[in-house]
Amino acid sequence: MLSFVARRLFSALLTIALSSVLIFLALQALPGDVASQILGRDATPEAVATLREQLDLDQPAWQRYLEWVGGAVTGDLGTSLASGEPVATEVGLHLRNTLLIAVVTILVAVTLSVVLGVLAGLYRDRWPDTLISGLSLVGMSVPEFVVATLLVLALSITVPVLPAVVLDGPSASIGELLPAVWLPAAALGVAMTAYIVRMARTSVIDVMAGEFVTTATLKGLGRWRVVTRHALPSALLPTLNVIAMNVAWLVGGVVVVENVFNYPGVGSLMLQAVHNRDLPMLQAIALISAAVYVLCNLAADLGAMALNPRLRTREQVGTR
Amino acid sequence: MRHASTSVRPPGGISRRSLLAGGLGALGATWLAAGCSSSGPASRDLPVEAASGDPASGGVLRIARPPASDAETLDPASALSAYEYLGAVYNRLTRIGEDGSVVADLAESWEPSPDGTRWTFALRRDVTFHDGRPFTSADARYTLRHLLDPDVASPQAGVLAPMLDPSGIHTPDPHTLVVELTRPNAEFPSLLTSYNCYVIPDGSAEPGGPRIGDTGIGTGPFRLESFTPAGRGRVVANPEHWQGRPVLDEIEFYAIPDTQARSNALLAGQVHLLSQTNLDFATARVINASERATIARSVNSQWYGLPMLCTAEPFTDPAVRQAMKLAYDPRAVLDVALQGAGVIGNDNPVPPEEPYWTDYRVERDPEHARFLLRRAGLEDLRLDLYTSAYDPVFTPMALAFRDSVREAGITLDVRTAAAESYFSQIWMQKPLMATYWYTGRPIEQLLNQIFRGGSSYNETAWADDRFDGLLDEARGEMDADRRRMLYQDAQRYVVDHGGSITPMFADRLVGLSRDVLNYREYGFEFDYLNIGLRR
Repeated sequence: MLSFVARRLFSALLTIALSSVLIFLALQALPGDVASQILGRDATPEAVATLREQLDLDQPAWQRYLEWVGGAVTGDLGTSLASGEPVATEVGLHLRNTLLIAVVTILVAVTLSVVLGVLAGLYRDRWPDTLISGLSLVGMSVPEFVVATLLVLALSITVPVLPAVVLDGPSASIGELLPAVWLPAAALGVAMTAYIVRMARTSVIDVMAGEFVTTATLKGLGRWRVVTRHALPSALLPTLNVIAMNVAWLVGGVVVVENVFNYPGVGSLMLQAVHNRDLPMLQAIALISAAVYVLCNLAADLGAMALNPRLRTREQVGTR
Repeated sequence: MRHASTSVRPPGGISRRSLLAGGLGALGATWLAAGCSSSGPASRDLPVEAASGDPASGGVLRIARPPASDAETLDPASALSAYEYLGAVYNRLTRIGEDGSVVADLAESWEPSPDGTRWTFALRRDVTFHDGRPFTSADARYTLRHLLDPDVASPQAGVLAPMLDPSGIHTPDPHTLVVELTRPNAEFPSLLTSYNCYVIPDGSAEPGGPRIGDTGIGTGPFRLESFTPAGRGRVVANPEHWQGRPVLDEIEFYAIPDTQARSNALLAGQVHLLSQTNLDFATARVINASERATIARSVNSQWYGLPMLCTAEPFTDPAVRQAMKLAYDPRAVLDVALQGAGVIGNDNPVPPEEPYWTDYRVERDPEHARFLLRRAGLEDLRLDLYTSAYDPVFTPMALAFRDSVREAGITLDVRTAAAESYFSQIWMQKPLMATYWYTGRPIEQLLNQIFRGGSSYNETAWADDRFDGLLDEARGEMDADRRRMLYQDAQRYVVDHGGSITPMFADRLVGLSRDVLNYREYGFEFDYLNIGLRR
């Protein structure tokens, strides 16, 4: 079991290291010069030359990569080309804001969707299943920015109970941001719930048709006990991976939703960084997104191991 | 140069974003229009004038704006200045009046020497900066020198430096500024109306101390209270302002890069005014139909153009440029792209508001265009025309233009480029594309900055010695009537020979709350003194 954990940890670290190289190379290949991009239409040759000098853009790429990785390991992600502030501080601040949305979304959406998915699976092809599956299909098909617009229309414009956009900057306190969290969280939740509901439903149906469930039922166990003790742990296994991927998507892929709500999170920071060709900022966000993906998968694998008796047992046999 | 979201933006800001937002806007429009139809039929006619009247004294106005960049600054000379703050906290020596003429701001009057090389400005004596220091000629001199400083890389330096040396600025007494030009310029005071030329205190941009980019200390109607680059900020009324106290108590500025998010903030009543935002027609109708907000038009404030790069094939041939201009129907482009909210441009980049404007135009003649192309050996000419989601008018304009020139046998393929890098990858690089500028540049600045050979903003790369000679002659002519004729000759020359196709000038569709009174904006002038909120 220990060696399994060690192997997973090692491959996780390797993945992060490889992605750091890929991220750096990809960003080097981006078209457009940072200085002229920042200046836009005011990029006169003199202005560009002045800015390039200020930004030290004339070092070779490999040297900048080594410096970047060296800094990243010690928590120094460089300085933003656009604002001149340390990247780590800015990303940290925006990451905190995104995590606020993420936590709310995950707590509400994951709980809700697992319950709905299991219900749908248990009441397969009866009306609760039809209703839940139908709604989740709709939620899955409608893009999140449309959901976001509908929510703004309903809850900010028609009945103004929640703010349509966040007017505060990234350094706003959690208390100031809290009223603004609900609409983005709801918009993200709808998309996320749909996937988890579908997955939970499918695996509950699969597991309930399994021989060990039949055996348990034949042993004379009550239906509730069969579901909670025998079926659910196995059914949640594949769901766990979907949840992990969704959590990762939440941190990396909230760009559109954050943009619609002007929410000062990582997503809007990334858009702004792309817009400004702010390479250090983009690199840091890409690296952090990669790390979140890897960590979520790692957590899902380890969680799966904890839930999967076969995996656990085989490893125990192996270590003896 | 100032355009809707310099980043943008920001906001600004934008390819996928705007595409999404664009689709979203139309989508929201349909739903909202349906939702609002009960409260009265949504009018297709958008109002022109903003509501005026007797506003409440005081109040807080909230303005949403596209941020220029994360590196925004309050230094007016900088290319990355936070535009909305400038007019609130600073004054210039001169500004543009409503009739397009140059009028007094911090300079009370000005007088040229007979040959136009020496300008004497009499400065106001009753003006103090927000920190209590009196405004003197030393501040005016410092402002000009700061603009000319190569390290500042001010966009206006390219306009001023060819005629002005830092050593040529003198202060014979605290209320007189004398500017010695290296060549005559009869229109020099008009060049100081640029939004880069706001007056800053003597020594305020030197390294080591508090910098003007953060402090925002000016002589304007509002004092800076807080400012965050690409974030929120606040200015409060300056009771000691030399023109009197402004109506409002405070203005709050919020940076919202996404156009759709800005519109939502207005519809939800979170902000009162969308700055530097030309709304698309669908969104404008939605806003106009809502109970909280409405639309005002900033008349002819956007100059839309299709620059032909004169250094690229086939536009190196003047006959081809002429054919392109003869081939299209400006009325059709205006009707399709602006739905009538603007005027025809006659391929003359000078807007009708400019006092020296000429109504010279060449009638459309697709047959002659076809003939010119045939003679140039370019029958069945096929070209790419680039556009982007950077501005809502670009693509409709490009498509209408494409349809219109078909009659002359010209085939255009409209290509949509990423809005994010439109002005760094497409502009001045592709032979044919869509652009726009804010109008409001005085003619001397406009023609020299965008049409003189070698200027860094010359988007058609047109270099014509005869035209440049005309400009030199015009700026050196001290007789006003003769100067007008020379500037009009220059306009005719651009229409006949230049690379700019100017189908139209458009009204900017500005979203604002129904509570806002006396909103007034033209060119780069915004009336911060009188704008107020309903009682």
